[in-house]
Amino acid sequence: MFEKLRKILNKTDADYADIRYENKKDTFITFKGKELTRIGSNSTDGYVLRVLKNSGFSSVAFTKESDAKNAIKSAIENAKLLAKNTEKPIKLAKADVIKDTFFPELIEDPRKISINEKLELTRKLNSIPLKHEKVINTTVGYGEVIRERYFLNSEGSEIREDLITTRLGGLITSKEGNLLQNIWVSTGGSDGFQNVRNQEENFEKQTSIVVDLLKAKPVKAGVYNCIVNPDLAGVFAHEAFGHFSEADIVESLPAMREKMKIGSKLGNDVVSIIDDATIPNQLGFYKYDDEGVAVRKVQLMKNGVLTGRLHSRRTAEEFDEPISGHCVAEDYRFAPIIRMGTIYIEPQKDSFENLLKKLGDGLYIIDAKGGQTAGENFTFGAQYGYVIKDGKLAGMIRDIYISGNLYQTMKDIIMVGNDLVLTKTGGCGKGQTNIRSCHGGPHILIKNVVIGGA
Amino acid sequence: MKKLLEIAKKVCDQAEVYSYENSESEVDFTHAELHDIKSKIQSGVALRIIKDRKLGFAYTCNLINREELLENALDSLKGKVKANYEFPFTKNLPNLNTYDNAIEKLAENLFVEECSRICDILKSKTDGEIEFGAGKDVTKIQIVNTSGTDVTNLTSSYGIGGSLIFPGGAAGVNRVFSKKKFQKTPDSILDEMISLYNSAKKVVEPKSGKMKVLFMPFSIYTLTWRIKSGTSAMSIYEKISPVADKIGKKIFDDKFTLYDDPLNDKYPGARAFDDEGVACKTFTLIENGVLKSFYYDLNYAKKLNAKSTGHGYRTIDWGGDPITLKPVPSLQYLTIKPGNKTFRGLVKMIDKGIILDGVMGAHSGNIPNGDYSVGVSPAFYVENGEIIGRVKDAMVAGNVYETLKNIVAIEDTVHDCWGGRFPAILCDNVSVATKR
Repeated sequence: MFEKLRKILNKTDADYADIRYENKKDTFITFKGKELTRIGSNSTDGYVLRVLKNSGFSSVAFTKESDAKNAIKSAIENAKLLAKNTEKPIKLAKADVIKDTFFPELIEDPRKISINEKLELTRKLNSIPLKHEKVINTTVGYGEVIRERYFLNSEGSEIREDLITTRLGGLITSKEGNLLQNIWVSTGGSDGFQNVRNQEENFEKQTSIVVDLLKAKPVKAGVYNCIVNPDLAGVFAHEAFGHFSEADIVESLPAMREKMKIGSKLGNDVVSIIDDATIPNQLGFYKYDDEGVAVRKVQLMKNGVLTGRLHSRRTAEEFDEPISGHCVAEDYRFAPIIRMGTIYIEPQKDSFENLLKKLGDGLYIIDAKGGQTAGENFTFGAQYGYVIKDGKLAGMIRDIYISGNLYQTMKDIIMVGNDLVLTKTGGCGKGQTNIRSCHGGPHILIKNVVIGGA
Repeated sequence: MKKLLEIAKKVCDQAEVYSYENSESEVDFTHAELHDIKSKIQSGVALRIIKDRKLGFAYTCNLINREELLENALDSLKGKVKANYEFPFTKNLPNLNTYDNAIEKLAENLFVEECSRICDILKSKTDGEIEFGAGKDVTKIQIVNTSGTDVTNLTSSYGIGGSLIFPGGAAGVNRVFSKKKFQKTPDSILDEMISLYNSAKKVVEPKSGKMKVLFMPFSIYTLTWRIKSGTSAMSIYEKISPVADKIGKKIFDDKFTLYDDPLNDKYPGARAFDDEGVACKTFTLIENGVLKSFYYDLNYAKKLNAKSTGHGYRTIDWGGDPITLKPVPSLQYLTIKPGNKTFRGLVKMIDKGIILDGVMGAHSGNIPNGDYSVGVSPAFYVENGEIIGRVKDAMVAGNVYETLKNIVAIEDTVHDCWGGRFPAILCDNVSVATKR
């Protein structure tokens, strides 16, 4: 394959060029209720070519080798057009020339497990919620995505890496009278099939919660002091803060770029945030990004002070900051963009019990249900929660939606727990879907949170 | 395609080949300056086979080896996914005008010129951050099946859109404009962006409470997303629709009429058949507040003893590659019937309330139940018919089956926007939560 890619690169008359070929193998098994609705394995493939010509940088994605000639022409013409119409020349930060083949170590290789075994495991886990009379539906599936990547650039890098992601989970829906409630259940990872085994307890627990939610009270809209659990703390780190550590987002928002200067004090002293895709055996793990740069650990915030940023080679040069290896694509259909790898709030010393004691009266909200940001503002849902009175759980609540301002909330995080948990499945959508987007944190206490209710 | 169908026919009861070819390019402007140009040339083929009432499914980007693709589909039959439906025989479709060959010569430099022109206008009249993008798309879909269907759709589209962003964040006034070929963006769209932006530069902090909310076209998808969930044959089959027993009953205010309009080739992307080759039609879901119909693909129609309404599309909520997806019931051309008030007239009707121009988090929450709770992005506070300023850090929440019972008035114009073609809708008694 590298020879084929080299031929295409050799025909590309550019100051810099890279090409990535991917063969993507999917296996999907889906149940809706008791019924199997999808099963099968397939593969799709394609190329992404990027060129830097006359200081203009452009990309083209194509699926047929016979389209390579047109693709090269289009990328070069577009790069020239960019160069002609922009005052600031595009440069790429210097990166090491890498020749490497990296296949991740798998504890249990999913490719060696028969589709029948995957089917029976999914069927068994799906049957757990369906046993409950109040559960009226499930959408539970197994998904396996294998990206076989070949990367070549005109500087001499030649990298072969596989990314193997498994996940098992879905949505459980309960009903009583006219009231419907649902909850997500999920597990998975980047280091093998074992991640989706032994999940009975997880499915039992989520079933019990979705049934209990039928009796829970809708939360009253208002402003509360809240403890958020590790999953939600991770969503906060990702949605509210993380996206603005991505250089391609802040570069398009000058006011945010000004506020997010390295060295700015943005958060409370207890807040430290890291992105570290090099932690092995985590969902977000990879070695090289999709422009051939080795990913490194980045301390994004230390004791409330902004200390780092996530970059592509282009933005690292533009910001005059070090490259970080965070330029990642969903698959062969896309040119890479800057993505978080494994982002988390660093744990501190306080136990969950200490957080409850400090909270006194407020809410304890648990697990994320979608989130979105627009500049400094963010919103996300929680799957369920509890009212806390005098440091003790006092009744389950539902329909919890949080809205907030990044800068204010960073200051309003007043206590950070000691119990870090990282997520096992992801699905960040930033034009492309990143199924390996991993986030986490310990329990954290935030004051003055706006809760929308429903 | 036909060769693949021939060899599939020999080993199964029914077969369908779906082919997808797409080329697109787009230019992006940030800070009112050219930032990126990218393009795609992509294609693929998907095969569905039915044997002994079981479904087989396979796909590939490069149809080099037909036998291998068929082998994959045959292999997936082992899963015994039920398929009691039959692929349709579709003919005599209406001739839609979906393609303008002027698109082929449309080069990226024209997009750059048009975006520059717009950025210059917006820059001269506002102090907002400007993000704009323009692009073209040519898509060819062909479906052949063993029932004799052989249908092709070739569409061309040009689109432009962008945001005028308020300082400090990313919330802004968004607008889009699309046609089958290049056309200059009308001044009326830019004038509205400028006027809304300039009238709401001041940040205000109204008190929480129930008030009038003017759902602007770009926030309406929050509401239609819930209606799409409730009226899908999939939700009926899964028993998660709160309106499963409400056909013929009034569920919304009588000013509200919602229909699917795939045949309207005034807009780009019109379709005479869905992704299963079933003929499309103009299709009313809600008429004067009364629930008229649910929408079906072949699979769920058979399960529910109904007929496909031509709503089987290879889609998911976000992105997705059509060749890798199986058809599911989906509404792609939603349109809300306009009312009789101008936008300014609607604003004048607000004694106290907000204009919800955009939202965050429409995908969160209990969608089947009809619940929504969205962050404002942006919203403008109105008192006595005048915009007072912009609201930050607020949430608008409710249940679609309540909110649309309280319609005060609907705008007299439909706009191209995310999720369909919608007018603005003024509703009363909607919960708005702020920090006060």
